[in-house]
Amino acid sequence: MIKKVLVANRGEIAVRVIRSCKEMGIKTVAVYSDADRTSQHVLHADEAYHIGPSPSLESYLNIDKIIQVAKESGADAVHPGYGFLSENTKFSDRCKLEGIKFVGPSAYSIANMGDKITARKTMIAAGVPVVPGTVDMVHSEEEALKTIEEIGLPVMIKASAGGGGKGMRLIKKAEEVTSGLRAARSEAKAAFNDDSVYIEKYIESPHHIEFQVLADSHGNAIHLFERECSVQRRHQKIIEETPSPILTHEKRMEMGAHAVAAAKAVNYEGAGTIEFIVDNDLNYYFLEMNTRLQVEHPITEMVVGVDLVKEQINIANGLPLTLKQDELTQTGHAIECRIYAEDPDNNFMPAPGQVTHIETPSGLGVRVDGYIYEGFVIPMYYDPLIAKLVVWGSTREESIQRTLRALHEFKVTGVKNNVRFLERIALADDFVKGNYNTHFIEDNFDFLMGGKEQNMQDDDVVSIAAFVEYLDRIGELKPKYEPATALNSWQKLKRARSARNARF
Amino acid sequence: MAEVEKGKKCKKCKILKLHAMSYEVKLKNKTIAIELQKRTEDRMTVKVDGRSVELGLVRVKQGSYSIILNNKVHNVVVVPIKGTKKFLVNNFIETQEVEVIDSESRYLSNRCKGTSADGEGTIVAPIPGKVVKVLVSKGQPVLAGQTVVIISAMKMESEFKALKAGVVVDVKVSEGQTVEGRQTLVVIDFNKE
Repeated sequence: MIKKVLVANRGEIAVRVIRSCKEMGIKTVAVYSDADRTSQHVLHADEAYHIGPSPSLESYLNIDKIIQVAKESGADAVHPGYGFLSENTKFSDRCKLEGIKFVGPSAYSIANMGDKITARKTMIAAGVPVVPGTVDMVHSEEEALKTIEEIGLPVMIKASAGGGGKGMRLIKKAEEVTSGLRAARSEAKAAFNDDSVYIEKYIESPHHIEFQVLADSHGNAIHLFERECSVQRRHQKIIEETPSPILTHEKRMEMGAHAVAAAKAVNYEGAGTIEFIVDNDLNYYFLEMNTRLQVEHPITEMVVGVDLVKEQINIANGLPLTLKQDELTQTGHAIECRIYAEDPDNNFMPAPGQVTHIETPSGLGVRVDGYIYEGFVIPMYYDPLIAKLVVWGSTREESIQRTLRALHEFKVTGVKNNVRFLERIALADDFVKGNYNTHFIEDNFDFLMGGKEQNMQDDDVVSIAAFVEYLDRIGELKPKYEPATALNSWQKLKRARSARNARF
Repeated sequence: MAEVEKGKKCKKCKILKLHAMSYEVKLKNKTIAIELQKRTEDRMTVKVDGRSVELGLVRVKQGSYSIILNNKVHNVVVVPIKGTKKFLVNNFIETQEVEVIDSESRYLSNRCKGTSADGEGTIVAPIPGKVVKVLVSKGQPVLAGQTVVIISAMKMESEFKALKAGVVVDVKVSEGQTVEGRQTLVVIDFNKE
């Protein structure tokens, strides 16, 4: 049984993992870079080890160093969180070699799902629907044109090793095929050192819906329903909810069964996510599998009533799943808002810096997974995600209302953030009606950027507050209370006396 | 403005010049005349652009105010920006920058008039980050909208551009250097072209 876990991550997810370990009586080991000495995950852990300079490549991605710390600290398992080394087959293999449990799937599963063409083939063999397109790599233009004739325009040319939108080209007209193919291949070569590409039908106005799966080492696999992730900006998810407002019960169970089949097809072990794209007629296609815990996993925890990190650890311990598919239900509705340190008014430019003031919401049905606090300097080296607001309500309507209430209580000063932008999303008519797809942000952009009109009374309040702060600071109007550090004469006398009588 | 005779101390505040001082605040490109008329424990009267505004104001903790104006509750956080008379004011709608202009800043801005106003532009990093590329050098002419410096932060690169056409007077950073927020990157003279 795992007794000590090294959390090979930082930020909110490291804190999240440490919390579950604590509840299981498992000791935790944090690792930190130069920039993260005062980061929350270090403050929460039982042990902490410095692993190098601030840039990720020299710290959180340094496999040798992390393995060394795991051995030195006597950790018997490593939890990789998401990002960094979570989907790195070398790391997962290395842990196995060193006799340290990797809380996640085998290198075999990661590699099988990481390569898009292999994943497509595996899914087709398992009977999981995939987007119509090529099964093998496309080498020539003739092949490409033949495929396009079969499946019809528009199509996407994608890099097999791809991710993050690199090596991807949308082709709307037949004459764009040659240049698109060449561009996609050279981009893929530059980014991944692998120029294999394949062709898929382009699904217009798609929904992005994913299924959470859990699979143990005894061959049991279940799904924990879906998460609707269509509110995205440049492939970056912003708000997720579950249940999806567009799925029917039948469709949900059918997709869930396919998600389980997908996990079984790669002998999956642990927590994973099967991503589907879904069109307006609820036709769905396998997109990819994420072989790790997702950022948005808490909304599943809220409606299903499980702790996914604990499930991961139990699976890593070789225990069989205790959850049974037919006993699982979705209760109520959950929404997650991602709070980013970025400036929506300045093309969403990242905004690291010092948090001078923070108030986080609380109250019924509100959970905040974050890692920043007053005075903390958000480093410039890592992801701009600073907190996740997760809200549960008995219905979707209540959940949206509660999200708005909680966002109103959420206040971060000192660094720019997207709290007001999130509020506008939750107010947007299309979102409230559940009538949205991945084009939601661009379709509603003007509305989302609006709502900042301040009336004269608001301006008065803002001006006066700054003015009063100024006056009090320059001491023209001294505050009535004494600063905490100032001593009155009695205290000074007492201190002087005790100093005189002190014996060392 | 309540006048205080020269050489006589005001009875209320016992400081010579308080009432004789005039203040302005700058908010969203507007300059608003502001004057404190009366202040008690939790209430105050402030003259804003000639209008008398009465409100309840309590400092809940350092930099955090509860204001009640016309029975409407406002919770406002005020954070000073180091080394300036500017404040970040967060009132739930958004965070805005407010500058308080007192006699000192007015004196300084008058003194510097003609040399710096409009003529010179500094490109300042709004965020901390790492300088990826410096695309100009001293003495080089630049066009309006030309990218001058590229800064990387949080895995994203941002380009900083010249506001108007001019000539680069000074380059204060070099490639690979880490910069603080509000640090000057490049100074451009807009009068030369």
